[in-house]
Amino acid sequence: MRESLKRVVVLTLIVLISSVVLYQAYNVMEVEERTAAYEQLKFEKMLQTIFPSETRDVYNEENDFYRIYSEDQCIGYAFMTIGKGYGGDIKILIGLNNDKTIKGIEIIKQTETPGMGVKITEKWFTDQFGNTTINEIGLKRSGGEIDAITGATKSSRAVVNAVHETVIEKIKLIEKAGEKK
Amino acid sequence: MKIKELTKGIVKRNPIFVLALGLCPALAVSTAIDNAIGMGACVIFVLLLSNLIISLLRNLIPKEVRIPCFIVIIATFVTLISLALQSYLPELNESLGIYVPLIVVNCIILGRAESFASKNSAPDSILDALGIGIGFTISLILISLIREFLGTARISIFGYGFGFPFAPINFFILPAGAFLVIGILLALFKKKGLVR
Repeated sequence: MRESLKRVVVLTLIVLISSVVLYQAYNVMEVEERTAAYEQLKFEKMLQTIFPSETRDVYNEENDFYRIYSEDQCIGYAFMTIGKGYGGDIKILIGLNNDKTIKGIEIIKQTETPGMGVKITEKWFTDQFGNTTINEIGLKRSGGEIDAITGATKSSRAVVNAVHETVIEKIKLIEKAGEKK
Repeated sequence: MKIKELTKGIVKRNPIFVLALGLCPALAVSTAIDNAIGMGACVIFVLLLSNLIISLLRNLIPKEVRIPCFIVIIATFVTLISLALQSYLPELNESLGIYVPLIVVNCIILGRAESFASKNSAPDSILDALGIGIGFTISLILISLIREFLGTARISIFGYGFGFPFAPINFFILPAGAFLVIGILLALFKKKGLVR
C-alpha cells in the first residue's frame, strides 16, 4: 500500500512542478506578445514588398480585406488566402491595384517539400503574378500565363487556384463595399 | 567523474552512426547546416537538463512509474526550448517546424535517461549528455553539409556562404537523399573501422 501511494505522489508532484515551471516560463518569455508581434512584422514587411509606397492600411472587418493608402490616396487592396498545397496549407498575401489587376503576391506561410515545393516562395515564381489580370492567372498548360515549378506542379497549382478564386471573390466584395460608401 | 563518459558519445557510441537512434529528426532537418546546428543545440539543451534532473531524482522515482516520470521531465524541457524559440528566434523556429516538439519522443533522450542517467551520478550524467549531444550535432552537421552542398550547390552558415558552379542535384534535399547519405557515411565509417 505504501509503495503504490509513493508512485502516485511522486508522479503527481513531478507533473505539478512541471506545470508551474511552464506556466511561469510562458509569462516570463512573453510568448504570446512576441509571436503576435512577429506575425504582424512579417505581414507589414510583405505588404511593403507588394506596395512599396504604402503609408497606411485600413482593415475592412466585414469583408476581410485591407485598403492600402499612399499619403491619402487609396492605391489598392490586400487580402489573405489559403491554398491546399502538397504538404499542408499555403498562406498567401495578395495585393490588388485600384483597377482590379493584381499588383503582386507573397507567400506568408507554407510547409511544402524542401527543395521542390518550397520554390513557391522564390522571387521568380511570385513575380509572375505581378501586374496580371485575373484571366492570366492559370498554369501555362491550362491556358494561363504562370510557369509551374518543375517537379512541384501540385504546389504551383495550389497557389494559382487559391489566387484565382480569391481574387474573383474579393473583387465582388470590394465593388460592393465601394458602392456602399 | 570520468572523462570517457564525454568522449564515448562522440565516436564510440555516436547516436546516429553507432546506436542508430533519433534517425527521424536527423533525416528531416539535415537539409541545411543552419537547421542542423539549431536542432543539435536544442537536443544538447534538453539532454543535458533532463539527464541532470533524472540522475538527481533517480533514488526518489519508483521503478514502476519511471517512464512516465522521465517523459514528463523531458517534455517540460522540450516545451521550454520550443517556447524560447517561438519568442526569440521565430525564423529558426519556422524552419525547424514540428521537429522541436518531436524531441520529446526522440529515442536518444529517453534512451540516455533510462540506460544512463537513472543509474549514474549527476556529474557523470552531465558528461554523458554532453558527449551524446555533441555526437548527435556533429553527425547532423556532417550529413547536412553533404546534402546542402550537393542538393543546392551552396554552402552557407547563418546567411554567410558561397555557391559552387555546378547544377544542384535536387535528390539530396529530399528524404531519400538523406537515407543515401547516411547509408554511405555509415558504410565508409565501418570500412575505416571508426565504428563497430
